[in-house]
Amino acid sequence: MGDNAQTRWWTDAGVGYVVIDNPPMNVLSDENRRGIRTALEEFRGQDVGAVVLTGAGDRAFCAGADLGEEKHLTDDTVGRFLSRGEQTFRILRDYERPIVGAINGWAMGGGLVLALWCDVRVGSTRAKLGAVGVKVGLMASNVQLSRLFPEGRARDMLLTGRTVEAEEAHRFGLLSSVVAPERLLDEATAWARGMAQRPRDAVAAAKRAVNLALEPEPAP
Amino acid sequence: MRRLDVGGIAIAVVDGACIGQDFERALDADIRLAADTATFSAEGADLSACGRRLARLLGEARAKEIVLGARTFDAANALRLGVVTRVVPSAALPEAVRELTDTLAALPPLALPAVRAAVRAARDLTHDAALAVEHEQFRRLVATRDHKAAVEAFFARRAPVFTGE
Repeated sequence: MGDNAQTRWWTDAGVGYVVIDNPPMNVLSDENRRGIRTALEEFRGQDVGAVVLTGAGDRAFCAGADLGEEKHLTDDTVGRFLSRGEQTFRILRDYERPIVGAINGWAMGGGLVLALWCDVRVGSTRAKLGAVGVKVGLMASNVQLSRLFPEGRARDMLLTGRTVEAEEAHRFGLLSSVVAPERLLDEATAWARGMAQRPRDAVAAAKRAVNLALEPEPAP
Repeated sequence: MRRLDVGGIAIAVVDGACIGQDFERALDADIRLAADTATFSAEGADLSACGRRLARLLGEARAKEIVLGARTFDAANALRLGVVTRVVPSAALPEAVRELTDTLAALPPLALPAVRAAVRAARDLTHDAALAVEHEQFRRLVATRDHKAAVEAFFARRAPVFTGE
C-alpha cells in the first residue's frame, strides 16, 4: 500500500491496484509515472498475481500528456519527454504479471497508449477512447494500435482521431468487456483474479510470447 | 466503388457490388465505408495480392476466410470481418461520406502522412524499430506551426487554422 500526490496503490487478495488520481482528467504526470513504477516494484514482494490499473473518478482513465507542458517542448526537451513516456509503457509491457486496464472514462492520446500497453482492457459504459494526437498535429499510439488490431481499424482511429465509445470498442476487441460504471472495479478484479489463479510462470511466459509474436522473423 | 482523396488519405466508398479489381482497389484505400446494400467478393481479383493485403488489414484467419472461401459477403459481414469500419443505410451514405471528408479536411495536413508511415512501420519493423520511427515523426511534428496553432486554439477554445507548416 502506498501513495504519492497523484497516485494511489494497494493490494487485495493477490491483486495489485494502481489508481491515477490527477483530477479532473487524470493527465499523466511525473508523479503518476513514478507511482506506477514504484507500485509495480512493491507488488513484486507481495505475492501479486495480476494488476488492475485505473483512473480516479468517472470522467477519465487518463487524458494523456499535459498539453500545457507539451507546448513548451523544444528540440532539446522533446527527447526526454518521449523517453519518460516510453519508460512507463515499457515497464507495463515487461512486467511479468498481467495488467488489466479498467477504462472508467476518457482514454485519449498518451492515455490511450497507456491503456493499450495493458494486457487486457475492460471498460465502463462511460469509456471513450481516441487516438486524438492527429487533431493537434501529432501522433501517438500508432505502433500499439497497428499491432493490436487489424491495420484497417488502426488507420480509421489514427487518421480521423475520432472517439470510439464503449460499445464499439467492445465490438472490435479494444475492450474485452463493458459494464456499468459502479461495477467496473469488480469486473476488472474478476479478470485479474482469474489470471492470478493460473500458474504464474505459464502466464508470464504467455505474456512474453505475445509481446514477441509480431516481431518480424529474421531473414533466413 | 468510389475512391476519394482527402489530403493524401484514400477513402473507398462502397455502394452496390464491389468485385474483382474494385475490391482490390477498395482494400488499397486507407479507410473504407459502405452502404448496407453493398456486397463484396474477391472473385476476379489478384488473389495473392488480396491475401497479403487482407492478412495485414484483418489478420490471417479472416484473410483466408475471404480469399480461400471465395464467397460473396454482405455489408454486415464486411463490418464484422473489418473489411469496412462503418456501414450506414444507403440513403445516409452521402452524409456519412461528407462527415468523414470534413473530419479529415479539418486535421493538420502534415500529421496524416506521418501516421501512415508509422502504421506501416509497425508491421514491417521490430517493435523497438517501429517505436523509433514513431518518435522520429513525433519530434518532427511537435516542432510544426500547425501543432502550436492547435494547442493555442485548444486553450482559447476556438477552431484551429492549419497551414501545413
